[in-house]
Amino acid sequence: MPGPLDGYKVVELAEGVAGPYAAMELGDGGADVVKVERLGGDRARGWGSSALGTLGSSFLGMNRNKRSVSVDIDTDGGAEVVRRLIADADVVIADAGWAQHPQLQPDALTSLNANLVYLCISEYGESGPLANRPPYGELSAQLASEATTSLGVIGQAPVRTATDTAQMFAGIYSTQAVLAALFARDEVGGQRIDISLFGCLVALRSTLWVALAHPDEWWGFHLDSYVKPQDFGYACKDGNIYFSINRATQEQRDQLYRDLNMEWIKTDPQYDLVNTDGAGGTARYAHLAKPLWEKAFKQLPKQQVIDAVRAIDGWAFEKNTYSELVASEQAKFIGLIDTRDHPGLGPVATVGIPWEFADTPASVRLPAPRLGEHADEVLSAAGYSASDITALRSRGVLAGA
Amino acid sequence: MPNGPLSGIRVFDLTIAMVGPWCAMQLGAMGADVVHVESRDVTGAGVPPSIKGQSIGYITWNMNKRGIQFDLKAQNDRADAYELLKTCDVFLMNMRPDVAGRLGVDYESVSKVNPNIVYVAVTGWGQTGPMRDLPGADGQIQHYTGFGSANGVEGSEEGEIYRHFTQMDATTGNYACQAILMGLLARKRTGKGQRVDVSMLRAITALQTGRVTEYLSSGNDPKPLGHKAQSVAPSQAFLCQDQRYLGVEATNEVEWRGLAQAIGKPELADDARFATNSDRVAHRNDLSAILEPVFASMPLDYWVLELGKTGVPCGRPMRWDEIKNHAQVTDNGYLVDIETKSWGTVKTGGPPWHFSKTPARWFRPSEYGEHSEEIMAEVRAELAADPKTAAARNQ
Repeated sequence: MPGPLDGYKVVELAEGVAGPYAAMELGDGGADVVKVERLGGDRARGWGSSALGTLGSSFLGMNRNKRSVSVDIDTDGGAEVVRRLIADADVVIADAGWAQHPQLQPDALTSLNANLVYLCISEYGESGPLANRPPYGELSAQLASEATTSLGVIGQAPVRTATDTAQMFAGIYSTQAVLAALFARDEVGGQRIDISLFGCLVALRSTLWVALAHPDEWWGFHLDSYVKPQDFGYACKDGNIYFSINRATQEQRDQLYRDLNMEWIKTDPQYDLVNTDGAGGTARYAHLAKPLWEKAFKQLPKQQVIDAVRAIDGWAFEKNTYSELVASEQAKFIGLIDTRDHPGLGPVATVGIPWEFADTPASVRLPAPRLGEHADEVLSAAGYSASDITALRSRGVLAGA
Repeated sequence: MPNGPLSGIRVFDLTIAMVGPWCAMQLGAMGADVVHVESRDVTGAGVPPSIKGQSIGYITWNMNKRGIQFDLKAQNDRADAYELLKTCDVFLMNMRPDVAGRLGVDYESVSKVNPNIVYVAVTGWGQTGPMRDLPGADGQIQHYTGFGSANGVEGSEEGEIYRHFTQMDATTGNYACQAILMGLLARKRTGKGQRVDVSMLRAITALQTGRVTEYLSSGNDPKPLGHKAQSVAPSQAFLCQDQRYLGVEATNEVEWRGLAQAIGKPELADDARFATNSDRVAHRNDLSAILEPVFASMPLDYWVLELGKTGVPCGRPMRWDEIKNHAQVTDNGYLVDIETKSWGTVKTGGPPWHFSKTPARWFRPSEYGEHSEEIMAEVRAELAADPKTAAARNQ
């Protein structure tokens, strides 16, 4: 069954994470995505595990459902390949690193095709003193949006999210914007869209900005990250868990104290703290009550604690590593990970698709491409003859295959 | 003033807490007529702080919508809700799987009322499997999906979660927004609505695509690396002479050469230990040991200028007072001022997407049930004029 975006053609002129991820999402939805790469390839081919050569692990995850064409864009012949592909495309996902190239200026490309949805991703935005910087800096965007204040030890070196959240948020918002612009195309034709890593992180922190409208009042259950210590979860005998019983009745709390063998808490000087504003999760003084809860939890395996908390309708979950997540029953049940054969690499596992369409399923159809793997088929569909293609290859304009 | 890209689309927004409301807020910003359906006044519930009975979460997650009051357990209100549904293009809810049936808004009921509706259900853990009925929200999703396993101070044995909860909720909402848009595009082609499911578990695992794929390739769970990147080097913060941290990154060999040149050590670019990104990752401690004293020798602003000359990505921490007045924010309109009844004027994130022809809009959240009469009057007039559903009219 065709996916929701069956029939749309996408050209990707981007590297790293944000642009490639957005283009992959469109590909997952069923669009035909051609990834144009410089002769050296997307920089992300060299990121992550190097055991796979130019198919680095990060690249494998961000580039399925695409065909690769690798051209020397500094030559007229290479730029002409890009222009021909765009003349026939519905969408261009570009980043500012590519859009600065004299041969690939946005105005010149959008003039080729009145129905083109052209999206450009930069680090800090299309206006202002830092306009149109390439979006490959992850840490800089996290620092600029003060995202790093929510991790690590207050007053010490900044800590980033291990996941490239700035680039991923920008990629996710880019996909949204392209889809919306495709929807509006019947009415207004093609248009240009701009997105930045910094702007997306600023948007994602909106709740905090509103809280700061009234700094005297801004304590909130999860808005106090400026003053709370690091959160590692709650240690049990065999690992850490998340737990919260904020809504439990006194009767339920009493049951939990019994089930966890912690009735000693009732005569502890800190009983009131544990029993009220320290009951795990986002409770205001959870961090102060934590050592008392852990005194009981550390005597028990985590599954027993989880069961006891759930028995009183509280919230309790494992704190997983990736290996534990992937091995979990729920992950296996819903097919969280997609594994399929990659020619030459054997079975390759990537993260499954986040949306489940009942009638037009999104799907993984192609593994991440080798550099320039699809040059012949893509160029011949764009009107190049076999001898044209041979000539481009012999002049060094076209790489791969 | 031109309209947003989704003008003409109406959304039945039966959402609570953050994930669903955030999703619908994006649709409203893009021009859809989002009708937020509430069964009771929750403006004061949920996320503290509240001022005059309105909570911060409600304000931030319910902009760009109109509000209507329905008690879906009451027959009269349910009949009205079905009338509204007939004029809607999208149905969105984020309650646990068993709740929809009780409220008469499971897919079977809704699609009977309006067969062409794009019906999107957001859950914590999915519609099937042993965890399907468990609650899901930001904190526990961070723990369960491993998001909290890889963050933290370098050398820490245990990873920590991101303390500003809301980003996982918002991200799931953003994936749901994509699903709705894809469903609308598919409907243009097929003429049919359909059911779409999105879960926080899938969404937040997808958010970690890079790290999870690295784990799947290598079999090694990532360890906390502080400000350093797992798979790129250098990509880390350096303490400068003026005791400020500067983030510096070289994401390919061109930027690496630029970095070596900017710090006056061009010979580093020819050092075999640092030739490619993989080499630099393998020798990241050697590299840090060389670079740290260099950056410590001059103030941060000096390095920003020098690295800028050779095109090396770099940046420095900013705090709210600086962010809200920064030219990048003001010139690009990344923050907007919203007038609220309870809180006065507040600043919040504005549209992250800039459309050249169909600009997004941004307006204050509705008060509880504020537009109930207005919306039902419109619905009755629309249905009287054309009894077919809006979805059918769009074909």
